[in-house]
Amino acid sequence: MNSIPILEIEHISKRFPGVQALSDVQFQVHAGEVHALLGENGAGKSTLIKIISGVHRPDEGTIRIDNRPVSFNNPREAQALGVATIYQELSLYPELTVAENIFMGHAPRGPLGIVDWREMGRRSREILESLEITDLDVNRKVGGLSVGQRQRVEIAKALSLNARILIMDEPTAALTEADVQRLFSIVRLLRERGVGVIYISHRLEEVFLLADRVTVLRDGQYVGTADVKDVTSDQLVSMMVGRTIENMFPKLPAVIGDPVLEVRNLSRRPLCKSVNLTVRSGEIVGLAGLVGSGRSELAQTIFGFTPAQEGEILLNGQAVRIRNPGQAMRYGIAYVPEDRGTQGLIREMRLRENVSLAVLRTMTRSGFIDTAQERRLAAEAIEQLGIRAYSIDQVVNKLSGGNQQKVVVSKWLASKPKVLIMDEPTRGVDVGAKAEIHHLISELAQQGLAILMISSELPEVLGMSDRIIVMREGRVVAEFDREEANQKNVVTAMMRETAEPATASTGQGVSV
Amino acid sequence: MTATAKPVPTPARRDDTGNFVSRLISIVSSQEIILLFVLIALLASVGSANPRYVAERNFINIFNGNAYIAVAAIGMTMVIISRNIDISVGSLIGVLGTISGTLAINGSPIWVSWLVPILVGALVGAAIGFMVAYLRIPSIVVTLGLLSILKGGLITVTSGEWITDLPEGFFLAQMKTPAFSILGLSIPAIPSPIIIMFVLTLIAVLWMRYSQTGRAIYAVGGNAEAARLSGISEKRILMTVFILNGVFVGIAAVLWATQLSIIQSTVPPGLELQIITAAVVGGVSILGGVGTAFGAMIAAILLSAINSALVFIDISPYWFRAVVGILILVTVLADMLRRRRTAAASGD
Amino acid sequence: MAASSHPIEERQGSSPLTNILLRQEVILFLILILAVTLLALSSDKFLTVSNILNQGRLLTEIGLVALPMTFIIITGGIDLSVGSILGVCAIVLGYMWNPSGPFQLPLEAAIIVSLALGTLCGLVNGLIIVYIGVPPLITTLATLALYRGLAEGISQARSVRGYPEWFFQLGQGEVLGVPTQLWVLVFFVIVTAIILSRTVFGRSLYAIGNNELGARFSGIPTGLYKIIIYAFSGFMSGMAAWIFVSRVTTTRSDMGSGLELDAIAAVVLGGTSIFGGTGSIVGTVIGFVLIQLLKNGLSLAGVTTDGTIVVIGTVLILAILINNFIQRRTNAA
Repeated sequence: MNSIPILEIEHISKRFPGVQALSDVQFQVHAGEVHALLGENGAGKSTLIKIISGVHRPDEGTIRIDNRPVSFNNPREAQALGVATIYQELSLYPELTVAENIFMGHAPRGPLGIVDWREMGRRSREILESLEITDLDVNRKVGGLSVGQRQRVEIAKALSLNARILIMDEPTAALTEADVQRLFSIVRLLRERGVGVIYISHRLEEVFLLADRVTVLRDGQYVGTADVKDVTSDQLVSMMVGRTIENMFPKLPAVIGDPVLEVRNLSRRPLCKSVNLTVRSGEIVGLAGLVGSGRSELAQTIFGFTPAQEGEILLNGQAVRIRNPGQAMRYGIAYVPEDRGTQGLIREMRLRENVSLAVLRTMTRSGFIDTAQERRLAAEAIEQLGIRAYSIDQVVNKLSGGNQQKVVVSKWLASKPKVLIMDEPTRGVDVGAKAEIHHLISELAQQGLAILMISSELPEVLGMSDRIIVMREGRVVAEFDREEANQKNVVTAMMRETAEPATASTGQGVSV
Repeated sequence: MTATAKPVPTPARRDDTGNFVSRLISIVSSQEIILLFVLIALLASVGSANPRYVAERNFINIFNGNAYIAVAAIGMTMVIISRNIDISVGSLIGVLGTISGTLAINGSPIWVSWLVPILVGALVGAAIGFMVAYLRIPSIVVTLGLLSILKGGLITVTSGEWITDLPEGFFLAQMKTPAFSILGLSIPAIPSPIIIMFVLTLIAVLWMRYSQTGRAIYAVGGNAEAARLSGISEKRILMTVFILNGVFVGIAAVLWATQLSIIQSTVPPGLELQIITAAVVGGVSILGGVGTAFGAMIAAILLSAINSALVFIDISPYWFRAVVGILILVTVLADMLRRRRTAAASGD
Repeated sequence: MAASSHPIEERQGSSPLTNILLRQEVILFLILILAVTLLALSSDKFLTVSNILNQGRLLTEIGLVALPMTFIIITGGIDLSVGSILGVCAIVLGYMWNPSGPFQLPLEAAIIVSLALGTLCGLVNGLIIVYIGVPPLITTLATLALYRGLAEGISQARSVRGYPEWFFQLGQGEVLGVPTQLWVLVFFVIVTAIILSRTVFGRSLYAIGNNELGARFSGIPTGLYKIIIYAFSGFMSGMAAWIFVSRVTTTRSDMGSGLELDAIAAVVLGGTSIFGGTGSIVGTVIGFVLIQLLKNGLSLAGVTTDGTIVVIGTVLILAILINNFIQRRTNAA
């Protein structure tokens, strides 16, 4: 490995109103290395990358690029020195073409300062080809691309700026397995070319697959840097949380009773096709599958958000018709959605108002909201789930990811459901809160709830579920008992046919 | 349908001539084509019912009558693409037109009375832009307040007195090219507003398509946060948009003020609505991000053609606004349906 | 753009007192008191009971429309068509009753038809917005033209006059010494204030304005609620039309032109964010009272009607500027 760091950071501190986001943090990246940055939510990773990419200015400390001290006033100045960032929310313009997006802000000009489209197209193709991307038309509008394709456009954009330091913030969070593999090979290509990659991820296995070194932050403090080949995942976890997690998946024994939710030949095109499944009381059914396999779509069809076109739903043996979420709730179905920011919470509203939102209609006295009851409910939720908030009137936006997730869960527990559908219950939640949420799920099952848990994290599915159902392309393709399920057979079921080229069944142009 | 509705799915096509054609087509994206089609259909059907409708004189009037609206709609198109709105344009046209006339009757050189409104328009645009971009007040609120200020201020200052006795050379909008014939074709005299409208629209379309700043307007409107992160200065772009809007409003005001021999020195009622209508019907996406000044121009002409058609097929002109309302609704609905189909076809 | 505009009510570290003082309603109220004091000093006719009550008569139409406008803006929508709905309702009221017209309905029936039409106009707005997904700004811009066009088309610029004496009680009469229509306004202010602050419906409107998808996932029938508020807005425009015709004793097709701007100005002045999610009826009430008193006080002080419009525009921009400035200061502190 090259021994001269291209980026060096020393004694960086940054304070925001009310929080010390970073204090005395150090960090280096060498040319041609993939350097993973690890830490729980709120550890200061995003602040650090925003400082490196020029969005924030540090209060103290120095940044050196090529051994020269630099200071950025805005992202543009950082870009000029070769720092490019790929944010979690991809920052592309859907109405513009791939080439235009790649060269946004620095388009090649012809005489008279007019944009040279031919040159732009040629150079875009060149860059894409250098990344071994040949299946992307530079004249397509970005709006019609899949998430994976868009990310490749982002990488190409960074390279068009001659980026030497590339920051990737949770790049695999929304990718399909195939896209993840392509991303990895692109990152390796970049490494060979001498680009320094700062890689942020929640998934430890990715760190081991991809990174050369890893730096861990905790509570805005620098914990340590290690060569990946010298550490184990347990060591990394304890560096991140400052303690060891004894039991990651505390599955408690529960009595499994009668079927509560039964789904027969349920269809809602395009991603839910003739699905059959059963969830019994006290049972946790894990729903596995790739992103885009129709898991969330199935859940939202059961919940009435996108009502079924065919088939039937039975609750406690009774056939019911569910046409909207309100009806689903009255039948005792609750759905903790995948994206708490846009689906699960009203982030600008108070904790109390969020917890009561789904059950507000039952908490009225002669038509008016019973605020005393509402406050009691919120106080109980804080107690029961261990939500760390300083008041029930706190705006949920200000809570950490794990606590926000607990608010969503408590909102749905307040509706006293019989069936609880949880979609990615621990996504973007730090390790500590994750264990607490797992514990809660176990307890709820013990109390007799029927739980359908959708998760992209295989260890979670394997560790928590009594039964595992695998979906692919909108259909249920396999089912395993807790005992027979393992990483290998579940993954095989998830992937089996997607490796084959022609999948005509979903129609043309579907990009998964 | 054209290329925009069906993105080419294969990477195989790599010849640049093909791309050039498809780009040419996408410049004139489908909304504009549909509008053009509606315009031609209207001219043909009403013209066959009453040939005087498409006689040279009325035909030119149709193009001429709304030219100032088309010019103002260019600026409005940019404003809407950047995800803003300007409801003060009608009042501003009234004020700038009055300024122009007042200068002219007080003995300023003619070119000064044409130029000053444009400069003042740019200044007012800069003020709006500053409040929107730097002080972060929503544009609807800024221009709502400005609308009151301009409207009330104008009448307070002028007491609604008409400006008459304007000097001879002042009437820009009444100037025409000489009629001539070439190769046996007789080219009629074309009023200057039509030429100004076409030239400005062409410049605007090219600028929005081929300049860095022009593209950045789309970026800011489509994804402001992303624009900021990728180093585009949203503030600067918004300033540019509102200043340009002020310039176009200034030109529109000069055209408006110079078309009749008197200037009423009041705000033409509902004018902002006609300008916004032209921009929206012209294909500025209601969801931000798409649109060209070309569509706005056709829409402005179409509105004029409808107004004229009501007279020729003997419908009371009092129904004009109802027809306009229906027209906006229909175009918007068509746009929504087209988008929905496109979205379904691309599988997202 | 949207993110900067939500006043976050919960501020760590600041005392409850400063929280209360910094609310837009309170700031507005202080401006209101200041304005009243200055105007009272400049004219001795201003602070008289009869003048104040008369102003109440004049602000009722704007007030009635501004109440549902508050609901709509809280959900992140807007209704530009209210002035046109008022126009078409007024015209239809006269047209249905007109003793020399085609229908010659009893006046009571004409009023009911007019109110029903107003509700229908609002319902159409709501249906287009919810079921076709056209943004409210564009939908109501189109129906602004459409409804005004209907008013003009139906009336053909002819006005209807000569209503029976009892009809004028609402717009010109008094009950217990207070203008009749002011009672109507007070009634609706109380009802809407309670709905917004104390009911599930009201709470849901805030949820929709802050995160509509999240609200849907919480089982709130967001589409239905939005249709209801637009229909309610149409109904209130119809009420305003009725009162307007009764007050000015005639119908004209240009009635209510520009009303939407006054109503929106009142709502925004009252602290409701144009991006939705925050706002209150109390703020809106202070907003339209402030506008009306400014108009009146300035005209008593010898400023022309048009001059007062300038002042109102300036006040609107200044109020928002001051509010933005304070929000930023407190958020940064």
